[in-house]
Amino acid sequence: MIVGITIITVSITVNQVTKETFSKNNPGLDAVVGAKGSPLQLILSSIHHIDIPTGNISYQNARKIIKHPAIKSAIPISLGDNFQNFRIVGTNKTFLKLYKANLISGTTWSQPMQAVIGYNVSKITKLKINKFFVGSHGLIDTGDVHAEQPYKVVGVLKKTGTILDNLILTSLDSVWNLHSVTNKDKLEITSLLLKYKNKTSSFSFPRLINKGTNMQAASPSFEISKLLKLTGNAHRIVDYLSILIIILSFLGILFTLLNNINERKYDLAVLRTLGFSRWKLFSIILSEGMIISILGSTIGLIFGYIVYESMYYFSIVGRSLELGQLNFLNDLFLIWIIVNIIAFITCLIPCIKVYKQNIRSTLLNS
Amino acid sequence: MLKCENIEFNVDGQNLFSNINLNLKPQKDLLITGPSGVGKTTLLSILCGIQKPTTGKITYNSIDLYNLPENKIDEFRGKNLGVVFQNFNLINAFTVKQNLEIAVSAINTKKSIPFFNLLDRVGLANKSHIKVANLSIGEKQRLAVARAFVGDPKWVFCDEPTSSLDDKNANIIANLIKEESLRCKASLVLITHDSRIQTLIKFSKILKLGDEL
Repeated sequence: MIVGITIITVSITVNQVTKETFSKNNPGLDAVVGAKGSPLQLILSSIHHIDIPTGNISYQNARKIIKHPAIKSAIPISLGDNFQNFRIVGTNKTFLKLYKANLISGTTWSQPMQAVIGYNVSKITKLKINKFFVGSHGLIDTGDVHAEQPYKVVGVLKKTGTILDNLILTSLDSVWNLHSVTNKDKLEITSLLLKYKNKTSSFSFPRLINKGTNMQAASPSFEISKLLKLTGNAHRIVDYLSILIIILSFLGILFTLLNNINERKYDLAVLRTLGFSRWKLFSIILSEGMIISILGSTIGLIFGYIVYESMYYFSIVGRSLELGQLNFLNDLFLIWIIVNIIAFITCLIPCIKVYKQNIRSTLLNS
Repeated sequence: MLKCENIEFNVDGQNLFSNINLNLKPQKDLLITGPSGVGKTTLLSILCGIQKPTTGKITYNSIDLYNLPENKIDEFRGKNLGVVFQNFNLINAFTVKQNLEIAVSAINTKKSIPFFNLLDRVGLANKSHIKVANLSIGEKQRLAVARAFVGDPKWVFCDEPTSSLDDKNANIIANLIKEESLRCKASLVLITHDSRIQTLIKFSKILKLGDEL
């Protein structure tokens, strides 16, 4: 029972939190344009900041896309460095508007090498306004730092419950300066986050980019639903496995109680002769079964939540996941109730056996 | 008052006994005797509400026993009747004291039971924490008697309480049953084929199974 509920709790929480996180991290973006490669990788790296980017694209080409009549808004982002595993994102100030971000303190950047940090970044790294920090090469902290050009924190963002909380934002110029790119023709960015003027462009525009340029356009909703479908199958298998374990635990409770009452049928008959009514014995056996079930399912629920919390805090992916509003607690509570209702029904079998016991024949046979 | 009217019991279509009529006044003692296999234990089960008769009526102070719902019969037995079974029907995994405690919890009484006094009277005060499985036959018999009287019953039924005991232990048990019955002001119904019992206890009435009283 404990194992089954633990597995199903972890499965549900991970599944729900993943879905919720993916949904929250995308503030209505229609497409992401980046270097050719895996479209899912492009989405994961540019919106959810989990994977590594597929490469860079020319800023000149990106500017042509920004000016395209089908595009309502386009936000360039440039990745490449991190501070204590928090990604430093070169972008423009529209990025903040996209996530409806507000500042707790300070202001946005006004010149290169100024940075605005997300809520979690501030909380974990203890960075504050006017403090300096140096970014390190790559998206994971390797110790290889840009010591000669530190960033200055000029603003701290309020909590948004999105990936923004885990990002360090700066201007595109900061990223280009840091990597000594001075030739304007050779400027590069990682990707462009796009919103269409008209949803009908979702069919024609990606085709235009994918066939006519050396870039690719990927749809966040399409790629993420593909990913969730894949992980959903895995979750389903895990769920079936946990349901099987729970069914086995019901059988375990049933046979334990049947075995118990079989071993104690003489004692139960004696209790009847002493004045215990059928209902009293019925309720004693039912209580025994339900105590096993309620304890097992509750401990399983707690274990499952501990496992999930551990995964959340100790995995690298955890940096990109936000716990959300614990909406899945309702689902877990519902499962807990269903499990205990089935356990109750299962327990009725031995209870009815006790209720129907013929005390005289039991005592005579014993 | 215990009253039985036209009690009849059939097993697999065969009549075991019929036309049993009893009328036992308060604090009077009844001996039911007869050879083995005549249905003495079955009759005790019927009187105690454990086995429903094929026909007939049993009333305790005008309460029709088998007219009560099943659960009420169990409760009535727990609160008003004390039974010493032939094979004791003790819970072997429990200690001496626990066997008395479980009997008290069955009758749901708020009255505090002086277990030590009771065990002292039956000579088991120093064995209260010993498991029943480790007691001798005589000790089990005494514990069964103590348990039957734990709730101060108004009617006490004993099934062959002395038949497996030697003269000395039979004397102890018979005296114990008589003393406890007097203490509780209970009517005693004793079933036996042991002829020694009539020399140990003086009964108000004797029923030879098959004969009318």
